[in-house]
Amino acid sequence: MKVRLTRFALLLALGACTEQATAPGVCPDFCPGGQIGVVDTIFTDMIERDTAFSGYVEAVGGEVMAVADVPGAVDSRAIFRMNAMPLVVVLHDTTTSPIIVDSARLRIEILHRDTNATSLWIKLYRLPLAIDSTTTFAQVITPFTDSIVDSVNVNALLSAPHIGDTATVRMWGDTIQTDSAGHVLLVGADSSLILYTDLDTAQARFVAADSGRVAYGVRVSADSANTIALGTADNGRGPRLTWFFNFLDSTSTAKDSSLSRGPIFDSFVFNPPTPPIDSNLAVGGVPAARSLLRVKIPALLRDSADVVRATLVMVPVGPVPGAPADSFTILARAVIADLGAKSPLSTNSQFFGTHLVHLNAADTLRMELTDLVRSWALDSTLTPALMLGQAPEAASYTQIRFYSTRAPAFRPTLHITFVRRYTFGAP
Amino acid sequence: MRRLFLLLLIAGLALAAPVLAQDSQFGIRGLGTPGRGESVRARTTGGAFAAFDPFSPLLDASVADVRRVTAGVTTGTSWRTVEFGSQTASLRASRFPAFVLAGPISSKFVVMGGFSTYLDKSFGIATRDTIDIRGTPQAVRDEVTSDGAVSDLRIGLAARLHPRFAIGVALHGLTGSTRVTAIRHFADSTTYRTSIARDEVAFHGLGGSASALLDLGADLRLAAWVRSDTHLRADIRGRTVSDDDLPFAFGGAVRWRPGTEAAVAAAVTWRSWSGGGLNAHDTFNWSLGTELGSPSSPVRFGVRGGQLAFGPGAKAPTEFGLSAGIGKQFSGGRGRLDFGIERLERKGPGLTERVWSFLLGLTVRP
Repeated sequence: MKVRLTRFALLLALGACTEQATAPGVCPDFCPGGQIGVVDTIFTDMIERDTAFSGYVEAVGGEVMAVADVPGAVDSRAIFRMNAMPLVVVLHDTTTSPIIVDSARLRIEILHRDTNATSLWIKLYRLPLAIDSTTTFAQVITPFTDSIVDSVNVNALLSAPHIGDTATVRMWGDTIQTDSAGHVLLVGADSSLILYTDLDTAQARFVAADSGRVAYGVRVSADSANTIALGTADNGRGPRLTWFFNFLDSTSTAKDSSLSRGPIFDSFVFNPPTPPIDSNLAVGGVPAARSLLRVKIPALLRDSADVVRATLVMVPVGPVPGAPADSFTILARAVIADLGAKSPLSTNSQFFGTHLVHLNAADTLRMELTDLVRSWALDSTLTPALMLGQAPEAASYTQIRFYSTRAPAFRPTLHITFVRRYTFGAP
Repeated sequence: MRRLFLLLLIAGLALAAPVLAQDSQFGIRGLGTPGRGESVRARTTGGAFAAFDPFSPLLDASVADVRRVTAGVTTGTSWRTVEFGSQTASLRASRFPAFVLAGPISSKFVVMGGFSTYLDKSFGIATRDTIDIRGTPQAVRDEVTSDGAVSDLRIGLAARLHPRFAIGVALHGLTGSTRVTAIRHFADSTTYRTSIARDEVAFHGLGGSASALLDLGADLRLAAWVRSDTHLRADIRGRTVSDDDLPFAFGGAVRWRPGTEAAVAAAVTWRSWSGGGLNAHDTFNWSLGTELGSPSSPVRFGVRGGQLAFGPGAKAPTEFGLSAGIGKQFSGGRGRLDFGIERLERKGPGLTERVWSFLLGLTVRP
């Protein structure tokens, strides 16, 4: 009996080697003397220096072509030039046959639009082949006035019945909506609109001397808000022009064929142009501007506090004019090394900060940068600086300006909430 | 089979060793929870036999009769219920509170060494609150934990100067550390990051003790002891953050053996903890216990009472406990296992604690 009792007690001792030591605290009588204190402070001088730089990305490198017509604010138009076409078809090694173009079909993707817009018209213009990245708004006013090629009411197309018969789906890959002029509209998986426009030889002039190159421009108009964004070759969703032609084969029989060309150049021009950099901080616009903010981390945050929330506060100089439906994102990225305009930027998205700016509003920017400021406070080897840029860059005519440190009353600040270091060791 | 028991026991002790736990919520706002300095044998007699037990690190003179190198180790697990008004919580902890090694260096003198828990400083508390940040109420949950203890490293000498009189002295080095953590969780974890502060607090102190045993007859033995500890200094990364007075303490005990298979003992102690800062109180404790049966397999009972050193208010919290246990010698008396169970109730303003403890002790004489 005693042996069994001994064994039982031994096993009980072994089985009890776990711990549950946390109990509800009834303070202050049965809690430690230290307290977890939260302090919320606006550090007005933590951002000690700042600089705006311009010229990062031109419109030709943008991910979209911004098209808008906001009277009194902005007029932005897409321009693009399509790649050259071969003039002949190679039948054998040395035998060729010239092509005879009979029509073309232009495909453009509308990535963003104002869904509240009514009677949204997209108008296609023929532009000179000389357009390039240096083309200004003023240089294309004339062709945008007298060279209209086609126009389509997008809202009318969207209200047209869906055609989903087998033959249609086989040809277009999905149900379509169409109008009496032969425009075809497909709705993409991401709610983008894919618009096809059939062009005859007068609308799509195939000039052999130009190797079949053509250039077009796009404007919009609507009853109210009218702004869209067209896809570009830079994001793989640029315009495409399919030429339909025939040629004589080796037996002198006419054969139909087609060839699709993408843009060799796509961009947008707008008026008024982005003003030059001044004493304020600029973000966005074309060419894209960025602002570098240099931060001085106070000793308090390094030694005796734990940052739990950090918010960048910046006061805009004024509202950004544009279509009410438009908005853009400001992205803050950590600077790896402060080399001024050419500072390499961190790609660690954990430390990114973002803020959505709505147009025509002068709201103060408040961007959460908690993880970034925490990293600066914890690691003194990091460069305490950040770069503000538009995301994506050069995809909009919009540029926002903020007061800099040179405007003491409105300078950028950091609103920081931190926990004071807990006082250990004292009862 | 006995070897298997020993292996299991050693494994159990090894597992128990790293976990040191707060015995009482009363000690959180004070320096900690004072250790008992009692072997399982002494503990199961309510502490009354601690003064006469060589393997209770209380009375240095008691090792004067150890004639061969002997080691004793104590471990225990407690299940504790705390009641703060309508709130209750159940806690569990394991401790490795005492180890004593002693052996003669001559016919008169015996040296001893070992360690015991001087102040247990392990605890964890969790609180919830709502605070106002940036004009918005935010729900927060705080956790403050401390894991560690201050150990009493003892080295001493005992001598039987006369067949009826023995004395002992010891130096005590108080050392230890606690790993401490304070965490604040915000309910809105998307906006606010969790704040975590960690540190390690090192403790240092010194003390000395002296004691004597006097046999008034074959059946009656008296014990008296006195101990003085200096200060307990707490350092964080080399910087002293607190320096608290430690108590002067003394006590006495009497044991009566009415027969070969029966012994009764009683003890009292007084400690001047009130210099240990806010919420500290001087304490008086008493105990009464008995050991019945043959020395190879005795049965023990005890009762104890008194005051706790730390607690809110002007009056010290009180403690009352009952205990019982058995012992079992093996290997021809070269080893002994002691088991015990103890029930404690502690009461103070705003808090009542009830504790069940299971105790296990091993004494080995190679």
